[in-house]
Amino acid sequence: MGKKLTEILEESGLPMNFEVGGHSPAETVAREIQKEPCHRAGKLRELYYNTLSSATSEFPYWYTRFYRQLDGELPVMRRALALKEAFAHLTPTIYPGELLVMGRAHYYRGSYPMPWLSEGYYMAKESELNKAAMATGGASADELSHYGAGGGNVTESFGHVVSLAGKFGMRQEEVPATLRIAHEWVNKSVDDACRKYERMIPEYPVKEAIMRNVICQFDSGYTLPQGREVMNYFYPLQDGFDGIVSICEKRKAEVAGQAGGDGLIGMDRLYNYEAIKLVVEGVQAWITNYVKEARRLEALEEDAAQKKEYGQIAERLEWIAHNPPRTFREAIQLCWTTHLAVLNEDVASGLSPGRMGQVLFPYYEQDAEAGRINDDEVLEWLELQRVKFTCIDCFGSAGVVGGVLSGNTFNNVAVGGLTKDGQSAANQLEMLILEAGTRCVSTQPTLTVLYDEKLPEDFLLKAIECNKTGTGYPAWMNNRVGMDFMMRQYGREGMNLDEARAWAIGGCLESSPGSWFELELNGRKYNIPGGTGQPTSVGVHFLGLPKILELVLFDGVDQRTGDRIFPAHGKKLETYEELWGQFQDYFHLACYSLATANNIQHDIWRKQNMSIFTSMCKANWIESGRLIHQLGYKYNATFSVESCGTVSLVNALIALKSLVFDNREVTLNEMRDAIRHNFGFKTAEQVGSYSLADQEKLDDSGTYDRIHFLALSAPKFGNDDPYADEIMRQWEEYFYTMCSDLESLYGQPFYPCQISVSSHAPLGAATVATPDGRLAGTTFSDGSMSAYPGTDRNGPYALFNSATVWDHSRSQNSQMNMKVHPSAVQGSRGARKLLDLTRSYMRKGGFHIQYNVVDSKVLREAQQNQDKFRDLVVRVAGFTQYWCEIGKPIQDEVVARTEYEGM
Amino acid sequence: MSQQLKRHCDCRNYASVDVVKGICHRTKDLILGDDQHCQHFVPLAKCRNCSHYSASGEEFLGSCNAEPAKPWTYPDLIAVTCKMYHAQAA
Repeated sequence: MGKKLTEILEESGLPMNFEVGGHSPAETVAREIQKEPCHRAGKLRELYYNTLSSATSEFPYWYTRFYRQLDGELPVMRRALALKEAFAHLTPTIYPGELLVMGRAHYYRGSYPMPWLSEGYYMAKESELNKAAMATGGASADELSHYGAGGGNVTESFGHVVSLAGKFGMRQEEVPATLRIAHEWVNKSVDDACRKYERMIPEYPVKEAIMRNVICQFDSGYTLPQGREVMNYFYPLQDGFDGIVSICEKRKAEVAGQAGGDGLIGMDRLYNYEAIKLVVEGVQAWITNYVKEARRLEALEEDAAQKKEYGQIAERLEWIAHNPPRTFREAIQLCWTTHLAVLNEDVASGLSPGRMGQVLFPYYEQDAEAGRINDDEVLEWLELQRVKFTCIDCFGSAGVVGGVLSGNTFNNVAVGGLTKDGQSAANQLEMLILEAGTRCVSTQPTLTVLYDEKLPEDFLLKAIECNKTGTGYPAWMNNRVGMDFMMRQYGREGMNLDEARAWAIGGCLESSPGSWFELELNGRKYNIPGGTGQPTSVGVHFLGLPKILELVLFDGVDQRTGDRIFPAHGKKLETYEELWGQFQDYFHLACYSLATANNIQHDIWRKQNMSIFTSMCKANWIESGRLIHQLGYKYNATFSVESCGTVSLVNALIALKSLVFDNREVTLNEMRDAIRHNFGFKTAEQVGSYSLADQEKLDDSGTYDRIHFLALSAPKFGNDDPYADEIMRQWEEYFYTMCSDLESLYGQPFYPCQISVSSHAPLGAATVATPDGRLAGTTFSDGSMSAYPGTDRNGPYALFNSATVWDHSRSQNSQMNMKVHPSAVQGSRGARKLLDLTRSYMRKGGFHIQYNVVDSKVLREAQQNQDKFRDLVVRVAGFTQYWCEIGKPIQDEVVARTEYEGM
Repeated sequence: MSQQLKRHCDCRNYASVDVVKGICHRTKDLILGDDQHCQHFVPLAKCRNCSHYSASGEEFLGSCNAEPAKPWTYPDLIAVTCKMYHAQAA
């Protein structure tokens, strides 16, 4: 075995600094705050721990069966009728002990494919899946029950179960039907139509080369067209589903046969109202099927307490199937049902409840006043809601669900922020939401504090207490910076200061616009916030920035695959300015080719697969009669360029500027040669670890030692070094300006989105060594403001100075992940220090910070023995995930992150 | 319904948890779906138990005769919500 990089650096007197502010104790330190959920939630969470991700064809079967019969119908009506029947045919399942009921499918952690979006995966895998389905189930049931490595992930087929996309299990007897359904969508799916038309873009060959070589992670139009947005529950809460149907009937009568001054789509209003009515009726039938199931179980049940609960479930569902909720329990059930209906309508990750504590507050307040509920009961419901949200799975390909999402679904609940009139919006129900997140640790919903100076101290300390559980939530987002971004991006669509205060996070940290709605409950009026923006994180999905630099250095040719990606630039790159200019040219070409192709994809999507139920939830549909595809949402400027590996790029540029151009210690050709030879190291794949620290030398020749040493010693971002930080400032300035020049299909400018999610692993794997000394195939830096592991040597405040050299409100987000040893935040003094640290970053203008309060030794042990750590959660990049469900490259990256031992 | 097909997952009392196991509403136990049924067995409405269902030559596929177009279906499709479901005579 060759020497490890860490050993070499130790010997050279340049140790990588994975601990800052002291040294962690020799013994493992547990997280200080550890609470338990209520018995009911604990039991249901335990069931989740033992549940496999399971896929079914039930919804796709009924959707396709009815869609087939409706040939010749208007597209929106055809889709509405198919959705109605699919909802109405879903099998209801209620589990003993549940109070909050309903699920996406009849499995506890169920999901299903939507081949009308994309059927390509099944077609490509057909023979393999058929073979697996037809094989006799050889494994015994006992063997199957031991299957559990990787939590609920079904990574391989076994027994009567076929693995789909390396994550979902499907019963083998359903596979032929799934393939048959997929066949029906060949040449009809959004995916197939996209491929036909995107080829007409002159830059298509560049786009195709980028995708084929994993420089960009995925197309969004037929993978995750919806999500990363904030829900709006107002209309079901205020009007109830019968009320919505009545509104549709009334509006139909008012607009039938009339253009209403709009010669283009005015006539569509009639069909749109009818479509909404039909889908809502399907959702009502779905709820009613659950009512019947609850009644059936009530009749069957012998235990008196459980029997009574089934009866109460039936009563609640019976009421909300038709009417506005009257109580907190009915309201939380209706919100959950509405949330599921949106998820079942289309593929979406990051569909976020938003400011749920403020939405549900009227019901909480009035129930508490009337003595209908107490805080313990509310806590139980909030914990049950956590378990339900954790059960949500998003069905998609391995590249999307595994490579980017790490199996997470990013349902974000935001707390805090400001009210419409500019006062603290934090309330007692939000305190309980934080407490539920502390007691019932689970991955969903993740929590976010919209940090504002007006928020009360006890509320902030409550959030810090939750951080100390090590859940990684709540993340901290800067309310004022978020509002500034809202005004900047959505001002042209009518955003004003009041509306800017209604923003929230959709997805992990995608700022999403919202509006205020006046809710009336028993004669009292409340302004509640709700999402009114289109999906975000649509457009260009994760572009590996260091890879673009690789292409600049090697004249447009991918050094991993040998493929030509960009036209040769033929420049000698004699100055840093010339190199930086070429980077901009290639980056713009990449973004332009991807943005135009994705515009076509989303255009096909909106014409064939428009959201109907979701459009009903968003603002303006009653007045305008428009759905999402006709600019029916209030805010539509939501398309973005998602970057990945920001700090790896910045460090690489710093190294080039310093070593090659300013100090001339290395020639560009020497650097190229060293990169081609991976600085004399094996590749990450050969080593089996994706962390820089674990990489091993290929041999002892030492040919590239000097240059690698120089690369690693070059200035790095995150140390309050103006030389380095200027490169970051320059990049951010350019990134914002470039995005503003791109136009979405809705005629609105793009903006930067700076989250990595998990894409820094696959995109890092596709990239050879970089001039900062990073080695081939290793994971990029996470987030966008986090220092590269082991390179921030001057403490957190120096890192904050580096991270705030640019205006964060020019971007939808920025992301700073920090790993803190539990002993550094021990006790009330430690809690105060963590709050002060957070406040300091917010006051400097940082947008986002989140903490992993964990001892790295625990993570290393968990890597060796996953079964022992089924419930261990960590913060990755904007989301919390079960350790055992995360791929090894990301595990390695989280282990390697700099650990802060003291503040 | 043939004896060999009587598994827990073919029972109305079985609440599917995932593709392998479920909870029995009678006993509240976590059980494996492919295991043999017990004395509480109540047939679950599935296409293959419906009088409108006819098998095709292809494994795991059949057709629904309840509609004139006789659309294809599959035997394990749960039909508790299907208004056309008509249980086969025992």
